[in-house]
Amino acid sequence: MEAALLGVFTIIIGVGGCISYFYFSNLFTDKVLFPARNISEADVGGHRTRAALWTAAIPFLILVAVIIIQVVLAGVFALVSPGVDAVAIGIPTKVLIYAAVIAVVIGALIFFITGSKPVSAGQNINRANALRPWLFLAPALTALGLYLAYPVLETLRLSLTERIPGGGSDFVGLANYAQMMSEAKFWEALTNNMYWLIVVPALSTAFGLLAAQLTDRISWGNIAKSLIFMPMAISFVGAAVIWKLVYDTRPIDQDQIGVLNAMYLSLGGDEPQTWLTIPFWNNFFLMAVLIWIQTGFAMVILSAALRGIPEETIEAAIIDGASPFQIFFKIKIPQIMGTIVVVWTTITIVVLKIFDIVFAMTNGQWETQVLANYMYDKLFRANDWGVGSAAAMIIMLLVTPILIWNVQNARKEMR
Amino acid sequence: MDNIAGTKSSLTWAVHISVAVLVFLWLFPTLGLFVSSFRTADQIATSGWWKAMFPAEQNLTLRTAPPATQVQQGNLYVIEGNLFEDESSEATISVFGISSRDIDAFVPGDTAEMRGGERVTVQANGDYRLESDVEMEGGRGERVFVTAETPPEFTFQNYRNVLFDPSNREGMAKAFFNTLTVTIPATIIPILVAAFAAYALAWMDFPGRALLIAAVVGLLVVPLQLALIPLLRLHLEWGIGKGYVGVWLAHTGFGLPLAIYLLRNYMVGLPRDIIENAKVDGATDFQIFTKIILPLSFPALASFAIFQFLWTWNDLLVALVFLIDATGETTVMTKQIVELLGTRGGNWEILATSAFVSIAVPLVVFFAMQRYLVRGLLAGSVK
Amino acid sequence: MNRVLYASAAAVALTAGMASAEQVTVFGPWLGPDQINVEAVLAAFAESSGHDVRYVGSDSFEQQIAVDLEAGSPPNVAAFPQPGLAAEMANRGFLTPLSNGTADWLRENYAAGDSWVDLGTYADPGGNMNMYGFPYKTDVKSLVWFVPENFEDAGYEIPGTMEELKALTDQIVADGETPWCIGLGSGGATGWPATDWVEDLLLRTQDPGVYDQWVTNEIAFDDPRIVAAIEEFGAFARNDDYVAGGAGVVASTDFRDSPKGMFSSPPQCYMHRQASFIPAFFPEGTIVGEDADFFYFPAYSDKDLGSPVLGAGTTWVITNDSQGAHDLIEFLKTPQAHEIWMARKGFLTPFKGANPDAFSDPTLRKMNDILLGATTFRFDGSDLMPGGVGAGTFWTGMVDYTGGKPAAEVASEIQSSWEALK
Repeated sequence: MEAALLGVFTIIIGVGGCISYFYFSNLFTDKVLFPARNISEADVGGHRTRAALWTAAIPFLILVAVIIIQVVLAGVFALVSPGVDAVAIGIPTKVLIYAAVIAVVIGALIFFITGSKPVSAGQNINRANALRPWLFLAPALTALGLYLAYPVLETLRLSLTERIPGGGSDFVGLANYAQMMSEAKFWEALTNNMYWLIVVPALSTAFGLLAAQLTDRISWGNIAKSLIFMPMAISFVGAAVIWKLVYDTRPIDQDQIGVLNAMYLSLGGDEPQTWLTIPFWNNFFLMAVLIWIQTGFAMVILSAALRGIPEETIEAAIIDGASPFQIFFKIKIPQIMGTIVVVWTTITIVVLKIFDIVFAMTNGQWETQVLANYMYDKLFRANDWGVGSAAAMIIMLLVTPILIWNVQNARKEMR
Repeated sequence: MDNIAGTKSSLTWAVHISVAVLVFLWLFPTLGLFVSSFRTADQIATSGWWKAMFPAEQNLTLRTAPPATQVQQGNLYVIEGNLFEDESSEATISVFGISSRDIDAFVPGDTAEMRGGERVTVQANGDYRLESDVEMEGGRGERVFVTAETPPEFTFQNYRNVLFDPSNREGMAKAFFNTLTVTIPATIIPILVAAFAAYALAWMDFPGRALLIAAVVGLLVVPLQLALIPLLRLHLEWGIGKGYVGVWLAHTGFGLPLAIYLLRNYMVGLPRDIIENAKVDGATDFQIFTKIILPLSFPALASFAIFQFLWTWNDLLVALVFLIDATGETTVMTKQIVELLGTRGGNWEILATSAFVSIAVPLVVFFAMQRYLVRGLLAGSVK
Repeated sequence: MNRVLYASAAAVALTAGMASAEQVTVFGPWLGPDQINVEAVLAAFAESSGHDVRYVGSDSFEQQIAVDLEAGSPPNVAAFPQPGLAAEMANRGFLTPLSNGTADWLRENYAAGDSWVDLGTYADPGGNMNMYGFPYKTDVKSLVWFVPENFEDAGYEIPGTMEELKALTDQIVADGETPWCIGLGSGGATGWPATDWVEDLLLRTQDPGVYDQWVTNEIAFDDPRIVAAIEEFGAFARNDDYVAGGAGVVASTDFRDSPKGMFSSPPQCYMHRQASFIPAFFPEGTIVGEDADFFYFPAYSDKDLGSPVLGAGTTWVITNDSQGAHDLIEFLKTPQAHEIWMARKGFLTPFKGANPDAFSDPTLRKMNDILLGATTFRFDGSDLMPGGVGAGTFWTGMVDYTGGKPAAEVASEIQSSWEALK
């Protein structure tokens, strides 16, 4: 009960908080900081003080809001579960000090920015427009910085150091990388990752495109789509279980419980194969699992893009006598190229991080190691943070070509 | 669109057939798991699931009733009964044996003599008569090996074990609500935050935009396992410790790059003139965003919502690290299912069943959202 | 977002809301039925001490305890299945030494007490040796499982020596049957059952001193004596005639599925070497002691190494110092703590003060007798080695070996991975 109630409150507070942040920050910029009117010589001092003071007040207003929310929550919970005796209401001193520091800093910043010269309405609008992207971006940048960029920097640091017993660490330069490069398992992982990077995004996107195109034209298309999408809804571990059942091997004198072996034997195979232990090919049996999952993703996104293609371009092609295949390859594909790039990129990145499937099905044995599993092995099995972090840096390096490609794409779009 | 004379009907058939093949291929592995979830562990381990619908010839090891049930008939000590525990079983025995070395030595109706001198007669329907000249001893009945044709058999016991077993029913219900508490905010908050950021990156002009886009793509690839320790440390320092707030923040942070990336690429493709017209009409960026961009991006928002929901629903790692503290007050579905599997894990039937229990909600979400995917698109494509 | 943080944090604190008795949190690897067992023991502790005791289990214990310790949110007490990992954590300064006298208590009250004290003694960051780990709950690994009625049908006798075991193996092959079921599959941990084989065979071919030096790498992994033990295992596992399904399926057969071959009709194999926990994976309704039984994995009669026993178990350490945590360790020294779990399932103990009548079934008691009667008891070596070897290259190496790689090559690869860790 409390959990459900708490959930409801969070949704209200969290979502409401987000919306009011975006709303009020824009309002504040347009009305208080840079109002769309001329600020005369006489007005400028007063405006400057007002803006700085209001800005400095924001952290405290937030704290007040927090206290109000706490009181409301405490009241509600006291009603729902009377047994609860103590409710923490209040703000720790540490937070108060932080708030004060932030208030002084942003107040001074605004005081500095607004300046002591009179401004025209146009100038003010320009200033507001220069600030606005950052208002829109601020929460996202904060979260990205804290949750992703900070760990990356930490990883970079760890990959250049070695931990010494009892805490602390020594700078060792590139020793961790050198050690990693000398391990055969690392090269095996790198090679396998390359196969994965070529095969999985290509096939997932191709199948997804096929499914999206075909299902759009038939009456039971939505049902078909849901069924193809279903693997997305299964966790990686669940998927590993499903496919272990497919690849299962029993001795020849018993009933096979794996579909693949049953088919192989009925098609004239002489003895059951242990699919996951056949070097090189077993990689592809693992890839099948990810393709099976990711096709649903590609299909959903590509199907939305296909439906967004303006009808008239297709109609024009039909009138010109184009065959359905020509329409598909010459008219549709070019128009959704941008989306295909997005899907390809996203799946490539899933592949770079692929861990669960390999971990659950072979744990990188029989020459199926991949980088993410190698990294996990080093981090949590060998407890070797240095090499584990170095492996992570390699994974992140591999994304560079995709990064450049996407930036170039984005540059083109901007024009 | 397809009104090209002559090619239509054959092409339509080709489409129907290829979709059917594709769906079949994609469904087949899941179907195996689904059928398996209605079978017992022993059934799963001994015969293929595709044979579950047909009568199967099985080798069974059965036992007669224990000596305690013997009755004296004249000079003989006799035990009578049916080898199949389930009296209504329709299995038919084709051959039987009394030693594990020779399991097809006799046909129904034969009398077999055991090592101890007892004689057993087995009928095709499983009825047997075990007789002995001396009183039988021991705690258990004699083993009889039979080869029998058994009708298909399905059980709901796995689902009962997972969902309604008294020892974990309460835990399951609690876990269900906890999981919802985790997933719903962890889905909505990143979408909101990402939508604003995506708009800024797609339609607002400011220095450093390309760099930021690159950064977002770059951050997509950060492996989750790396972030766990530094972030948990950070949470502990802030005083939020392990709990819902932490897990929401973590999911938000981890889900944001993809959300921003997908949404930005969708928004960039929206017709430029709509936005420029609105600007000419004096609309602010905030108004353009809420009144034009958001409604038009509904399909993209809905599809990302589906994905984020699926990830948070199926997540165990983030929940284990950021939510579940040492008191064990909070638990989630995935954790509950892992617990069911026992210390050393790996029971097919529980795995199969729980996979279907946990897939149910995401599928409902997908079906519900699918409508919006279409509706949003139709609204958006009006020129 | 900030404004959400604090309010909800307060609300969470509030739902958890209790303050009075001291809370003792325990983290362990047990889930499912074993979780109920350990909770029964902790409930008794809660009752006698008045503390509020919470248990959480995880199947990824090793990873999670590492994350929690590094980040600073550990439970009060953690039960490590791998002393090697506990030693690493002690070395980083995350563990609190147990109260003085615990070592003496173990020496006096545990069978083969000294080896248990060694098991829980690790170096702190300063290099000083302290007693950190309290051994509680043991598994015996040197067991061979079989179906007595199948042995009767075929007229086989339980072998008393390794020579007899090998003769029996050949006898079964001569009769046209398959003697062994071996499966190494275990998802991410694939390969570990083979490490138990090798350890058991090393104890049966070499002095226990060799074993101890091997575990600490004073004797290299590619030493001929170790390679010989690996090949000894290969004599069983790499012989197509000896293993159900042939040597090719050994590595990929799940260890949980492999014992089922003994119970099929006709039997696919006659014997299965596995630890005391394996009955959990026998077919439903199997009664241990009647449908299935075990015998001690015998020693060579001509080697004069006594009757060595390989085991495993958990060591309980204090990961977050509190009075309650120390109280819990004290409680584990009482017969009650052992007898509660003895009365349930899957618990063995070297504690001489526990009443053996407490065992719920005679099978467990028989296993415990093997444990108490051991002339040499050694802890599972792979759990003592550094994680990168004992839970990494040793596992994968054994998979490679069963796949056909030469033992010497596998051993030298494992050795070089060990050297890389230093």
